[in-house]
Amino acid sequence: MLVVYQDVVNIVQSKFSSTEVVKCIHLNVSPVNESWNEVHRILALVECNSSYALFVFITKKPKPSSISDLSVETAIPIDSNFSCDTEPIDNCQSHIIFIVSFRNRKLQFKIEIGVESSNFASEVIWSKEVSSSNKLDFNWLGKYTCATLDQNSKKMSEMSDQCSDIPVLRHQLAHGQAASNRESILRYQLKLKEPEYTQHQEFSIFVGTWNVNGQPPSVSLRPWLSCDEEPPDVYAIGFQEIDLSKEAFLFNDTPREAEWLKYVMDGVHFKAKYKSVAVTRLVGMQLVVLVNSKHYQFVKNVSVDTVGTGLLGKMGNKGGVAVRLELHNTSLCFVNCHLAAHVEEFERRNQDYKDINARINFRKQPPSIKDHEHVYWLGDLNYRITDLNTNQVKTLLARSEMITLLKADQLNQQKERGSVLLDYTEGDITFQPTYKYDLNSDHFDTSEKARPPAWTDRILWRGDGIYQLAYRSHMDIRISDHKPVSALFRSEISVIDQSKFRRVHEDLLKKMDKLENEFLPQVMVDQTEVTFDLVKFREPQSREIIIANTGQVPAEFEFIKKLDEATFCKDWLRITPFCGTIDPGEKCDIKFEVNLERELDKVYDILVLHLKGGKDMFIIVNGDCQKSCFTSSMATLCRAQVPLLQMTEEQRKQAENMESRVLYSIPRELWLLVDHLYRHGLKTRDLFESCALSDELIRIRDWLDYGSLDPIPGSVQATAEAFLLFLSFTKDPVVPFEIHDACIAAANNYQNCRLIIQQKMTDIHRNVFLYICMFLQEMLRHSNDNGYDAKTLASLFGDILLRDPIRNSKPQANRGKANFVYNFLVNDLSSSLIPNK
Amino acid sequence: MANRTGTAQRPNGSTQGKICQFKLVLLGESAVGKSSLVLRFVKGQFHEYQESTIGAAFLTQTVCLDDTTVKFEIWDTAGQERYHSLAPMYYRGAQAAIVVYDITNQDTFGRAKTWVKELQRQASPTIVIALAGNKQDLANKRMVEFEEAQTYADENGLLFMETSAKTAMNVNDIFLAIAKKLPKNEQATAQGGSGQGRRLAEGDTGAKAAGNCCK
Ligand SMILES: Nc1nc2c(ncn2[C@@H]2O[C@H](COP(=O)(O)OP(=O)(O)O)[C@@H](O)[C@H]2O)c(=O)[nH]1
Ligand SMILES: [Mg+2]
Repeated sequence: MLVVYQDVVNIVQSKFSSTEVVKCIHLNVSPVNESWNEVHRILALVECNSSYALFVFITKKPKPSSISDLSVETAIPIDSNFSCDTEPIDNCQSHIIFIVSFRNRKLQFKIEIGVESSNFASEVIWSKEVSSSNKLDFNWLGKYTCATLDQNSKKMSEMSDQCSDIPVLRHQLAHGQAASNRESILRYQLKLKEPEYTQHQEFSIFVGTWNVNGQPPSVSLRPWLSCDEEPPDVYAIGFQEIDLSKEAFLFNDTPREAEWLKYVMDGVHFKAKYKSVAVTRLVGMQLVVLVNSKHYQFVKNVSVDTVGTGLLGKMGNKGGVAVRLELHNTSLCFVNCHLAAHVEEFERRNQDYKDINARINFRKQPPSIKDHEHVYWLGDLNYRITDLNTNQVKTLLARSEMITLLKADQLNQQKERGSVLLDYTEGDITFQPTYKYDLNSDHFDTSEKARPPAWTDRILWRGDGIYQLAYRSHMDIRISDHKPVSALFRSEISVIDQSKFRRVHEDLLKKMDKLENEFLPQVMVDQTEVTFDLVKFREPQSREIIIANTGQVPAEFEFIKKLDEATFCKDWLRITPFCGTIDPGEKCDIKFEVNLERELDKVYDILVLHLKGGKDMFIIVNGDCQKSCFTSSMATLCRAQVPLLQMTEEQRKQAENMESRVLYSIPRELWLLVDHLYRHGLKTRDLFESCALSDELIRIRDWLDYGSLDPIPGSVQATAEAFLLFLSFTKDPVVPFEIHDACIAAANNYQNCRLIIQQKMTDIHRNVFLYICMFLQEMLRHSNDNGYDAKTLASLFGDILLRDPIRNSKPQANRGKANFVYNFLVNDLSSSLIPNK
Repeated sequence: MANRTGTAQRPNGSTQGKICQFKLVLLGESAVGKSSLVLRFVKGQFHEYQESTIGAAFLTQTVCLDDTTVKFEIWDTAGQERYHSLAPMYYRGAQAAIVVYDITNQDTFGRAKTWVKELQRQASPTIVIALAGNKQDLANKRMVEFEEAQTYADENGLLFMETSAKTAMNVNDIFLAIAKKLPKNEQATAQGGSGQGRRLAEGDTGAKAAGNCCK
């Protein structure tokens, strides 16, 4: 075991009980062909009572640092159904594919070539060796395979079915990822469960290949295409050199395509009707795929592609043409090729083969040849017989020494060496070489060149459940220098049982729902109703609630707006924090702070606490409010014969509704504050700038609201601040909102300013305004002591006397307001005092 | 959009039929059994003591029809009157609603009718409404006659069933009936829920994002 990973091994081991021993692991594994391969995997070989299993872990980080980074994706028992293998990746020296097969499943992982991978692979292979002899008990695996989700598969034989459950979804949900992969997971799971809803049905597949040497069709193809007793279900017929003309080569255009197609349609088995699935051609290479029309509706996702490997490595005089399709639930691919000519060019042919594999792209899933379940490779592969001259070949043929000849066949040799068609199978060749014949004869080439005969025309296959029934040449067709070849296969095609499919599908959806619901964010709040003590002007209070994450995923919470509301809570409330994330098992304190700055009978609101991707909770916030002169209207205050909180309900209602008599020309409370300042504050430097302690203000507030014979309970600075607050928060501003613009417009003319206040303000507001201005004029007489000049006071009081409906909504207007007020600070006010009646 | 009409592929690529996602809201007086119906439908359980809902609970459940798969995003709302003003957040943008009453309580039937009226006025005009007379297992204490409710439902074009979350009677059936009645064409599913629907596929776009922190 590699020492470097010992820490990771320990973490992996901690997922298991003590009798289950992690023998070795492999990091940095990525599944092949999956859309969520950004998720890292780790493989682990685990032993328990001398039975072994291969575990696939999903890990949050390439190198997990804690047990919570890991979750089991699949657990595969290493029993007689288990096998593993490696496969090189084209054009990739650094990685290989590690293939694990068990029962009907196949998992493929990309791993880096190196000590780690070879160690791991040999450990796995060794464990398989030692396992095959014993009677094995895999019950211990049950707990890792989401058994709870699969109640119906308890039997050992179904162990691997359990493995396929929905760990990826579970993993994603557990890590708070949206289940956006739902559909791709569903697809993947359906694929894994395929054996449960499919069955094999045998199809006969006729594959033919013929190099026609540029000859137009002139003889019936029946002897070739209809040579079998029964009609095949599928035909795949490949031609080479259907047109050797320059036009065909340069413009890839030839009338021969249609002509040969017609001869094919005329030549197919008379006992069945056939429909064309695809016809594709590149220069002289043509591939026709037909199906018995009763199967036509089960053919899906047909796609074709062609690759030229000829002149300049890309012209279409050589290369391959391919058709892919799905027949029921099995993907099929047919490749018709014409590889480089000449005896000595076998390496060129090997290269052409590789190029065709690398460059064919069907632009469908899967895009490349090798990922199809069944592949048939046919064509004029052009491999020759080496090291024997024409006469030797002919002699050996005459003596039927096929074995000697086939040993000298380049394709057999190259295939043996792993240079071409590596994992393809070819049936035994029992027919004569199919090249090269004198036209219209069965004689091998008698021309001057006298090329040695060769098996240039071949058919191979790759995939499970394909059985070759016949492999032969067709000597009776003599118009070309090649003889046609054909092979008949019996192939197992996987067919979906609709009712079983629906059951599996529905079952999966149910499980996914269950997981999704299980992994919805869940929280509890300790109270759903928050009641404040009596809420008083400018006297903040707070309450806390606790949100506890009781679910399995991080809960992202947020207070959200109700329909048609601009903010998620009212202006009197402050929520901290108003959004956040709570990890499972954790809690979060939320502070509600109420601060009343306007007149309300009570505060009441329903807050909506939303969990992202989950439920909403309602939290009611409420409390009764206490009246205060600071938030009343001046008209009410001028009607109050006693302090606000000494009034009866009745009296207050009347005053508020302006039903009772006006008793004072300005609010009594205002007078009390100003009078105090007049007597004690005129000479106080920076009177309006100190910030009083808020409980001093609260005492002044209560002194005003309850009434008292005691002196004002606060410093002169606190009184000054109370005075400013009073003017800032009364229900109505001293100068009504509607006339602010007129005031600003009139600001450079005192007479106009006077007219406005005389004509556009109520008596009470005008009185208050002038009263304050007179007081300020008095302040200015003591400028030397208090440090204020008219400009400063005008600017300070302009903002307050002409305050905006929403504070500081139009700061650019402040100058005009100051100018307006300034008029009343520097001019004689006596004439303004005369009531305007 | 709360909905999405996707096309699932069978392993062999043939189309399996659409997956339609719909937002469904449960409305009705508190304690009539809304949460219990959802619990029965989604988890197959019933609790004698079902905690009362303060907010809007959320669950999902998939129903397979012949040619389509319907995924419900279920919002189970608080029935108490004081939360009434919040209900539009949940029924706006819903493609289906189940209005529930308790057959042993005449008042809850009256309240159900008010909900139906509100939905007819305020919800999407294409909303599919089902009326569920729940607690059918308590038929011996019945206060609302079946015929009365059936007539009302017919007059208003509602699906109607008497259900029992306790015995599971008609619970799956009412959801299934709704699934069948919902329009499955792209257009009908594409318009619908712009409201509170949970955006499963696209991820939450934060359309509900709150305003700034208050002052
Ligand atoms: N007998 C009976 N009781 C029910 C049924 N459905 C709900 N309940 C009970 O009624 C009470 C209120 O149910 P709940 O689901 O909380 O109602 P909701 O407020 O509408 O969500 C709970 O005690 C349930 O157990 C039912 O069909 N039959
Ligand atoms: Mg409830």
